[in-house]
Amino acid sequence: MNPLCKPWEHATSRRQFLGASAGAMAFGALGGLVSPQAAEAMRKKEKQVLFVWLDGGMSQLESWDPKPNTEFGGPFRTIKTTVPGTHFSELMPQCAKQAHRLCVVRNIATKDNAHSSGVARIQRGDPKNRGVPYPFFGSSIAKLMGPTSSKLPAYVWVKPGSGGFKAEDAGFLGPKYGSLAFGDGKPPEDLLRHASLTAEEDDERNELREVFNRRYAAQRRPAYTEASSYVFDSARELMKRADIFDTTKLPAKELDRYGRTELGQHMLIARNMLEAGVRFVKVGSYGWDTHGDNFNASASLVPKFDRAFASIIEDLAASGLLEHTLVIAMSEFGRTPRINGHVGRDHWPEAWSIAMAGCGLKAGAVVGATNDKGTDVKDKGHDIGAVFHTWFNALGIDPKKTEYNNNGQPLPLAHDEMEAIKEALV
Amino acid sequence: MRKSIWNRLPLAFLCLCVTLAARPMAQTAEPLHRRVDKLIAAKAAGKPFAAPATDAEFLRRAYLDFSGVIPTAEQARAFLADKSPDKRARLIEQLFASPKYAERMAEAFNIQLMERNGANDEWRNYLTESFRANKPWDQLAREIISPDFKDEKLRGAGWFITRRLDKVGQQDTDYPGLTRDIGRLFVGMDLQCCQCHKHLTVKDYKQVDFNGLFFPIQNLKMQAAGGDYKTAWVQEGLVTNKYQFVSVLSSVKGATGPRVPLGVEVEIPTATTKEELWAVPPDPKTRKAGVPKFSPLKELAVRLASADNAPFARNIANRAWWQLMGRGLVEPLDLQHSENPASHPELFDLLAKELTEHKFDLQWLLRELALTQTYARSTVLPTSADQVPEPLFLAAKERPLSAEQLARSFLLAVGEQERVVNGKGWAEGDKPKMLKDFEKAFLAAFANDAKEPELTVNPTLKAALFLRNNDQILWAFQPRPGNLIARIAALKEPAQIADDLFHTILSRPPTTEETATLEKYLAKHAADREKALGHFAWAMLSSMEFFTNH
Repeated sequence: MNPLCKPWEHATSRRQFLGASAGAMAFGALGGLVSPQAAEAMRKKEKQVLFVWLDGGMSQLESWDPKPNTEFGGPFRTIKTTVPGTHFSELMPQCAKQAHRLCVVRNIATKDNAHSSGVARIQRGDPKNRGVPYPFFGSSIAKLMGPTSSKLPAYVWVKPGSGGFKAEDAGFLGPKYGSLAFGDGKPPEDLLRHASLTAEEDDERNELREVFNRRYAAQRRPAYTEASSYVFDSARELMKRADIFDTTKLPAKELDRYGRTELGQHMLIARNMLEAGVRFVKVGSYGWDTHGDNFNASASLVPKFDRAFASIIEDLAASGLLEHTLVIAMSEFGRTPRINGHVGRDHWPEAWSIAMAGCGLKAGAVVGATNDKGTDVKDKGHDIGAVFHTWFNALGIDPKKTEYNNNGQPLPLAHDEMEAIKEALV
Repeated sequence: MRKSIWNRLPLAFLCLCVTLAARPMAQTAEPLHRRVDKLIAAKAAGKPFAAPATDAEFLRRAYLDFSGVIPTAEQARAFLADKSPDKRARLIEQLFASPKYAERMAEAFNIQLMERNGANDEWRNYLTESFRANKPWDQLAREIISPDFKDEKLRGAGWFITRRLDKVGQQDTDYPGLTRDIGRLFVGMDLQCCQCHKHLTVKDYKQVDFNGLFFPIQNLKMQAAGGDYKTAWVQEGLVTNKYQFVSVLSSVKGATGPRVPLGVEVEIPTATTKEELWAVPPDPKTRKAGVPKFSPLKELAVRLASADNAPFARNIANRAWWQLMGRGLVEPLDLQHSENPASHPELFDLLAKELTEHKFDLQWLLRELALTQTYARSTVLPTSADQVPEPLFLAAKERPLSAEQLARSFLLAVGEQERVVNGKGWAEGDKPKMLKDFEKAFLAAFANDAKEPELTVNPTLKAALFLRNNDQILWAFQPRPGNLIARIAALKEPAQIADDLFHTILSRPPTTEETATLEKYLAKHAADREKALGHFAWAMLSSMEFFTNH
């Protein structure tokens, strides 16, 4: 028997748990035992994650940890933020206004300086080699927390390029913990109701199907029949909310605020998904590998991120979701302080920054520091394993007490010799 | 020398054989299927069994298992009308005699052995021809583990190895992966953990068990297609010394020759001269690698796929049982060891022994299993589910249809087989839909991911969305000359329509209640009858009863 539990088992167990503790919330949402408002209020308390991945390596010097007027500081100035004494690069005016909600760690020190291995290594939390591929953070959370009571898929990835069901992030957890990817922000194939069907027809034929299923399921093993029903229910929930995934329907005013850029648009979709109850939303952005012409590239890239990221922080805070949502923005490494012959910056895992916000984290905090020239961390830095510990702790999962069970092989959630970054946690 | 249960078993078998041989013929002549049922009943210890499957359930199950597709409405009607008492046994005989049997077995073993890791015609043909000839399983296994690339008829077997040793992206050639798969699929042991140390939870599995198997595997070199052979192939290197390994946990060193897991080690010949070492010596001028006289892989295959290697027979007996009953006697299928006993140890021993004595005749074993009452029970539980533990086989287990079974059954039921499979009946201006596109779409929606053992197929969101909204699915529910919807739309009475729909899609007559459901639905949608019939048929085809082998 596969000892790993199935997604619908999470659903069932959570349902039972809520049923016992909170007046049959999940059934209530369907059967009308509690009001939709109450159900919505309850759902807002479920923990969620927004993970913004800036692929290629954002320069910490042109963003979270500027070093103006130093040997490697580059041409940009710094600006004040809403946290007295904390400065960001002038390329981030909007984030500067959200600094009191952020928690920036400036002494990240990791090991891998190649994209090919670094991207996966960082997103897997770089645990010690256990002979099996570790899951990315999104798959971890899909496994550990499952979908929220919204029944929407646990792990959604909004990205440029191709979409579909992506299994590769799941590692040893198995493909069912992979992501549902919205390529170019568009829903995967077959998600939207077929053009030949009206909503009414679709509902009606599904009711018929359920009649047949109920007849079939009587006196058969419930585990099997429930699993089949569960995926059809999820499909229905997802299709019902298809409007929020439709980029053509995004309001112009909000698009202007998030920026009429790919990243802005995707971040806005991500906000809608979080509001709809997706447990883990990953937003991917490419093109951050600025080996050449770093400063012009940063002047173009960073403000796009700045608007989109600051807007989503602002909106999550306004809706109250930020309190229960862990927000992370990061890359596989930072960029070299030394400026190369192509006026670029190369890969620099030795000293870089990660920005976070929300659930379980100190707001308005700056953790750790780099030296004056930004070439190294002051004192001891934090490796990615410690960052994973921090995230799990922020979500209320104790990585020292919880472990994966890979076909009988117990595996730690995160690097077992590392600790959470205490200064970042509430 | 470690003494495990495996080493002792052959002796136990021998004793049993001697005892049986000394008894009168009547005792030993009892067919295997009866003995299977007796052992299942003994273990059930009075717990209630599910009722026998109805004729319709049995027919559909047998068709899916041995023909890979549901029966047609005509076949269903004929079987249900047949009053002769031996009709089930005759059906089994008829299905085994059909050319579809070999194709279905090739498909089932392709899924099991390749685990959705791509497709290859030569491999598929090799499997089909092997099952058509009812090739003994030990021979088949030897041909797969130690492929003969010189023989065109056998070359297809080599894809099992070459596909796994293919370089994918930046990954190294996956020798450990191939080693693991041979262990899992041919002797029912997942030895992966033992590459670097003894198994931490399975006492029987030692580091030498992985490395003895790994040794001849890592000695293989992939050779590209188009050189000596049309296909990619593997060449063995020269082996003169044992393989060394170190435990990463204890730092204890070990060495082994090619070795059957938990079994015998092959002695490496002490050859020294060029003549002794090489069948074809390497040619320094052409830089062509030589062919060593000693083939570790062949020596290993001969000993592994052998009546003398008990785990080999136990593995295939367990997998044959799993294939028809939906659950192995030992679970998981690839974790056989002395501390993981079978649910029915005596039955398990019996199957392995009988299969060995029948010279690994798989068709014989499958036929015997198909004749058991255990196979022919209903999936409707006799009491509440918690009173019917799965490992007791009190009721038949539901098994989802494979993507291939689904695609074929779907096209047959909607009456589009002629057009899509045979390419006949397309109207002018139609863009013909091809079988391969349907198969591809069904595989993408229903098959497990590559390298995921497809032992259980879990319902997925992807599949649900596919059934609900996919173009190719919904296309099939539009009326077109000769198809299901056109045919039933021409019928007047709801009872006639229900009779056709239920026999065609679910291989059984409708109940009164079901006919009434249809009648009500049609009355409501009298204005758009054809479309309503399409929706009704869709609801039946996307229901559990259709996509489950029950």
